[in-house]
Amino acid sequence: MTTTIMKTTARIVVPIVLVLAISLLLQGHNLPGGGFIGGVLTTAAFALIYVAHGLDYLEVGVLGQDVDPGTGVFDHRTVTAYERAFVVGLAVAVGSGFVALAFGEQFLSQTYAIVHDVPVYHEIELATALVFDVGVYLVVVGGLLTILTVVGAE
Amino acid sequence: MAPALSVITVAIALPFVAAAATPLLHRLIGERTGYAGAAVALASFSLLLTQVGERGAVSFPWVPSLDVAARFYVDGWALLFGLLASGIGVLIFAYSREYMHGDEHLARYYATLLAFMGSILGVAFAADLILVFLFWELTSVASFVLIGHHTDAEASRYSARMAMVVTVGGGLCLLAGLLVLAVAAEPALGARTFDLSAMLANPDAMEAALRERGLFVPALALLGVAAGAKSAQVPLHFWLPNAMVAPTPVSAFLHSATMVKVGVYFVGRLRPLLLSPEWTYLFATVGLLTMTVGAALAVAATDSKQLLAYSTASHLGLMVAAFGFENAYGAEAGSFHLLNHAAFKAALFLVAGIVAHEAGTRHIDSLGGLWRDLPVTAAIAGVTALSMAGIPPFSGFYSKELLFESAYEWAHHAGGLAWLYPAAAVLASVFTVVYSLRFLSMFVGDRAADADPVHRAPSLLVAPPAALAVVTAVVSVAPGVAVDGIVQAAVDATAVGEPEMHVGLPDHVTPPVVMSAISIAGGVAAYGVGGRLRAGVGAATDRDALRANWWYDRLLVGAEAASARAGPAVHDGSLRTYVAGSITAAAALALVGYAASVTALPPATRSVPAAMALVLAVAGVAAVAVMIAPSHVAEVLTVSILGFMVAIFYILASAPDLALTQLVVETLVLLIFLLVIEQLPAFYGDTPRRVLARDAAVSLFVGATVFLTVLLAGREATAEPTAVARYYATEAVPQGGGTNVVNVILVDFRGFDTLGEIVVISVAAISVIVLITMRNRGETQ
Repeated sequence: MTTTIMKTTARIVVPIVLVLAISLLLQGHNLPGGGFIGGVLTTAAFALIYVAHGLDYLEVGVLGQDVDPGTGVFDHRTVTAYERAFVVGLAVAVGSGFVALAFGEQFLSQTYAIVHDVPVYHEIELATALVFDVGVYLVVVGGLLTILTVVGAE
Repeated sequence: MAPALSVITVAIALPFVAAAATPLLHRLIGERTGYAGAAVALASFSLLLTQVGERGAVSFPWVPSLDVAARFYVDGWALLFGLLASGIGVLIFAYSREYMHGDEHLARYYATLLAFMGSILGVAFAADLILVFLFWELTSVASFVLIGHHTDAEASRYSARMAMVVTVGGGLCLLAGLLVLAVAAEPALGARTFDLSAMLANPDAMEAALRERGLFVPALALLGVAAGAKSAQVPLHFWLPNAMVAPTPVSAFLHSATMVKVGVYFVGRLRPLLLSPEWTYLFATVGLLTMTVGAALAVAATDSKQLLAYSTASHLGLMVAAFGFENAYGAEAGSFHLLNHAAFKAALFLVAGIVAHEAGTRHIDSLGGLWRDLPVTAAIAGVTALSMAGIPPFSGFYSKELLFESAYEWAHHAGGLAWLYPAAAVLASVFTVVYSLRFLSMFVGDRAADADPVHRAPSLLVAPPAALAVVTAVVSVAPGVAVDGIVQAAVDATAVGEPEMHVGLPDHVTPPVVMSAISIAGGVAAYGVGGRLRAGVGAATDRDALRANWWYDRLLVGAEAASARAGPAVHDGSLRTYVAGSITAAAALALVGYAASVTALPPATRSVPAAMALVLAVAGVAAVAVMIAPSHVAEVLTVSILGFMVAIFYILASAPDLALTQLVVETLVLLIFLLVIEQLPAFYGDTPRRVLARDAAVSLFVGATVFLTVLLAGREATAEPTAVARYYATEAVPQGGGTNVVNVILVDFRGFDTLGEIVVISVAAISVIVLITMRNRGETQ
């Protein structure tokens, strides 16, 4: 599938998709979006890169690393990064739950605070739920990409 | 004064904490970890010692919504058991230091032994049914690891598995029995509770509630099976002799004071609650049967540890039978014998270990005259074996006398066939005397001519059994000390009413004294014709159908064969079969749920806007197109059309979050398909018509179920929102601080569900990694 059309499309579309994914994650609390949707969208962007350029592109083309042709998929630095992503995400989500315990609330209770007088934005709402959502996002991205890369490499 | 919760909790938690720290400790101090274990056991022992004389329950909430609490109940019975387990634990750890010298898996050994001790203490003090079950199963798991210590030996693995199957099977019966008790607590105590101490406080109300519902006999049977499996009662006794493949300290610990006593302990614990004629018939019969069978098999044994194992089963039978009898003597016999048996049996196991260690064999007939080489060990064996035989004035005599007393008392009261009970007790005691003398024969007489030279045992090995022998001797000389110290308190907890316990040497002839005299005289006489007796017992029991072990093997082989036959039928490796099975089951369950709960079907007429109708029509066309698509690419694209139509439908139904999710997932799936599509075979071959017909039927069935679900769950757009929807809509901003209700539900109101979902994603990712790694290593089986 690594055609010129595909590569050109991917080059234009992937950054847009990534930015959109992040914005969906951040605004999810008040507008449509959230950790899960953002995560799946991010995964879709990566999948697009894989379809257009193949599995080694991230390491070779983007990071400028050499890849030994003989290495298995598990020796890929990207795969380790994905594995790390979902582990960290799980830790963040569970950790955010334990923080509530520290404040004497029930596990996974959330709260929020509205910060006023911020330049440009005027007021920003900071919700602890966002931390949990970021955990969800990381798990989705890491988990799905791990599956995708490993299966794709097969 | 109430018992101190902190003391009890620390005493139980300490071994577990130490178990977790053991690997590190072992790295630091190596073989001396044994001393550390002994120190932990000693700490628990001392902590429990401070609570002697206390009685009462202490608790802190654990799962308040289910009324499950970490409740500990302290009384004489629990303290007796806990003190025995931790006290003998000290000696076992000290003994292990020398005996397990040079073993490869010491870290695992000590960690498991510590965890095991903690679980036993947990069983002793837990007063919450859930907690009882938890610790009960922990003992099973820990003993599995301990019995299978020599992982490279087939026999050891087999025995560990057997112990696990029997005791965990019993544990499942325990769970069922405990749940029955919890259900009965509702009418009896006014609330469904797992609080054992509350149940023990109102035994009459509990019994009445159980009987009223016809649950009394089931509860008794379930709990009886559980206790019998753990305490090696016939016909579930076969795991105990097999468990002798474990290292000797493990055998000594498991089979004297802890693992096998858990069942006895629990019988004693529930005795005030369930004491009744049925109770007596069940436990007295099973107990005396076990006592007789175990003693007879011990007579026929040729290996010293095997002899002790069967003897253990026999003595457990004695205790169970004693608790079975419905009189005060029964509780006294059971409680007192628990103490005596723990002391002398642990010592005898350790002695057998010393003999095996120094003489290099456990074969009784090839050993003799060991008193010359092992004088101290011989003295220990003398005191403890005579106590085991029940020879006056040794400690075992007193508790056996109490058993005779209770059996006689009960037979006198019931009459008729009940006289078989004291008769069986006497017969078993005759055998007991015979095998005790046989064990002693290793130490007396002349050395076998061709025996290897025997080394003097290191003092570290001799000290622990010597300490136990001293305990036995003290109880023998002054039984009143033990009674006043702890046994009386244990009797108060296991008996109904407040019996005063009297022990001592008899000063005039009573029926129990006559029974004792018969059993001792008969035993000594029978020992004279020992060879013929052994041959007789051996011949009588040498039939497959009489061997529980043989039945167990048959059962296991049968189960394996059945699995081998059933496996391929269920698990044929075709994704199609799995999907068909699981979605059919899910749909059927949903239909069952509707059938049970839905009273009337809502009207099937709904107003559908034109746009929605159009989108749904396109989706329908796409669905048909999927089925007749000529190639994979066409299939993927038509499936995507279907998915995107559903997303548009969500938009029209004003559900932006759902639509977004559907869109991105659909996109991702499309991309993944594009990634793998080149690798798929273009043609799978013809599917058999039968399979096609089945798939069509399954699809129609599932489709119909979904249609029905939408019909039942769907609401008119103009209808009033439900209470739940209203709650979420109004509370999202004030409570969650977000205006996107869907997201607030996901991360705030139902955060725990989301956590579960992301765990699922992670597990899926890990599974894929594992599967592929296995395939790369060539482990496709």
